[in-house]
Amino acid sequence: MSWQDTLDELEHRKAIARQMGGPDKVKRQHDFGKLTVRERIDRLLDAGSFREIGSACGTGRYDAAGRLTDFTPANNVIGRGSIDGRPVAVYGDDFTVRGGAADGSVKEKHNHTEKMAAGLRIPLIRLIEGNGGGGSVKSIEKQGYANLPGSFASSYYTALRMLNTVPVVTMALGSVAGRGAARLCASHYSLMVKDQSQIFIGGPALVAKLGQTQGKTYSKEELGGATIHARNGTVDDVVASEAEAFERTRRFLSYLPRSAHELPPRHSTGDDPARREEKLLAIIPKDSRKVYAMRAIMEAVADQGSFFEIGKLWGRSIITGLARMDGWPVAIIGGDPYHYAGSWTRTSCEKLIRFVSLAQTFHLPVVHLVDCPGFPIGLDAEKESTIRVAMRAMSAINLSTVPWCSILIRNVFGVAGSGHRPTSGYTTRYGWPSLKSGSLPFEGGIEVGYKADIEAAADPEAKMQEIRERLERLRSPLRTAESFALEEMIDPRDTRSYLCDFANVAQACLEPGEARNFYHP
Amino acid sequence: MSKIDSPVAGVLMQYEVKVGDAVTEGQEVALMESMKMEIPILAEVSGTVSKLCCDPGASVAEGATIIELG
Repeated sequence: MSWQDTLDELEHRKAIARQMGGPDKVKRQHDFGKLTVRERIDRLLDAGSFREIGSACGTGRYDAAGRLTDFTPANNVIGRGSIDGRPVAVYGDDFTVRGGAADGSVKEKHNHTEKMAAGLRIPLIRLIEGNGGGGSVKSIEKQGYANLPGSFASSYYTALRMLNTVPVVTMALGSVAGRGAARLCASHYSLMVKDQSQIFIGGPALVAKLGQTQGKTYSKEELGGATIHARNGTVDDVVASEAEAFERTRRFLSYLPRSAHELPPRHSTGDDPARREEKLLAIIPKDSRKVYAMRAIMEAVADQGSFFEIGKLWGRSIITGLARMDGWPVAIIGGDPYHYAGSWTRTSCEKLIRFVSLAQTFHLPVVHLVDCPGFPIGLDAEKESTIRVAMRAMSAINLSTVPWCSILIRNVFGVAGSGHRPTSGYTTRYGWPSLKSGSLPFEGGIEVGYKADIEAAADPEAKMQEIRERLERLRSPLRTAESFALEEMIDPRDTRSYLCDFANVAQACLEPGEARNFYHP
Repeated sequence: MSKIDSPVAGVLMQYEVKVGDAVTEGQEVALMESMKMEIPILAEVSGTVSKLCCDPGASVAEGATIIELG
């Protein structure tokens, strides 16, 4: 007598589970242009690598004799697989089963995946659609009592604590609300698909009843589409398709270690570390009112094709991304003169905090291409409390212990300019000949600093011009280098060589291990 | 109808396109002054200009629509 009969019954249940919500619901998912959760997992992971956990988990219904008459699979699929041969944990909502809504087994599958990722020290990838296992008012009738948020069963502790341990990527692949939206944000990297994903604390129906503008009905896209959430930093990036979301997930993880207990993996790109970039000699206009393309500099100095931008549409005065220098992964930051001249806005400070925390958590040396004229001063900046958020950014920078290399490209002014590196220890720093620095830019600064002299002059305009010329002569970066305030001025064309040298020498300073409670998403 | 919004607050110096012009994504469509710099505004979408929404010299808030595309 063997156990074959039980195994046959198990296989029967698994076969039903693989049907997800059934052909009609699967067709509906496809009609909306979306993949099913199982298709998503197959396309995300290395072929054939998925090992499902809870493959026969669901809700069975039985006849009087105890025989199974019906089986509804749980509306989430979890397991382990690999990406580029490296293990990952995967969680996916199944929208074809009860619209991805609350289900008895959902939360435990959630928690299990998170504990698996943290326990095995492997990255976690979430594919979210729906409310991510959150409850509804109907839960009261089902349970017979009201939920008490914050109980151990629905704890956010694991989801948040693990951000110090393993890389977490979450994709919003449809409408995502409540708990689903919260889990999306409890990530190092998050993505949404244009026109397919929306993110809400509460969706349009709830907002029409309870929102501040009662009675106003928003479409899903108006309330939580990419034009809202890719620009405010709720998600890091918006992509055109699910396939692109999977591709960017794989790429993001390729720069990171499996966990904080390891160091980022080197992959040789074959690019010459001493490659000279002729175009960098003239890329910064001599006219300080003219902009230039910081991204072109990033592309030029990194290993060819290795620059991977993160957060392109939010906090836009700061560009952040991952790249390789002589094969070593680095976190790269640059000011974007196209947006407030690269100054620190409130959202760009938040972006800096998030990004520097990522670098610190996963031991990525930081390369900072500095062009920061300060803050965008004015009433808006004051209303947004830019300076307080800036201090949080300064804190993230100054308390980071990974090695930094700062290349001073153009403007370095004021408080925000001083955030170009941590000042706790040694920082590798070079300046380009286009460097301009000081406490305040001359524009406006002269009128304020020399107010009495200008007012007393017979010709105030001429006086101001005279002062400006005098100061301009002193502001030459050659004088800054002469005084050793700037330690070394370099030929911009050789920047890559300096950065590759830094990436190599920095390796000995990287220490695997978890930073306790450093990461705050 | 799509539109082009200003990514920064500042003063609109000039338009680089006129009503009826076809614009392609990435094309420079206007010049703003912000933070004492001349900042080109690049189209994020393609289309045909149907309306120029601001007068040159006007202050423009971040996110304000400066061009409507038909």
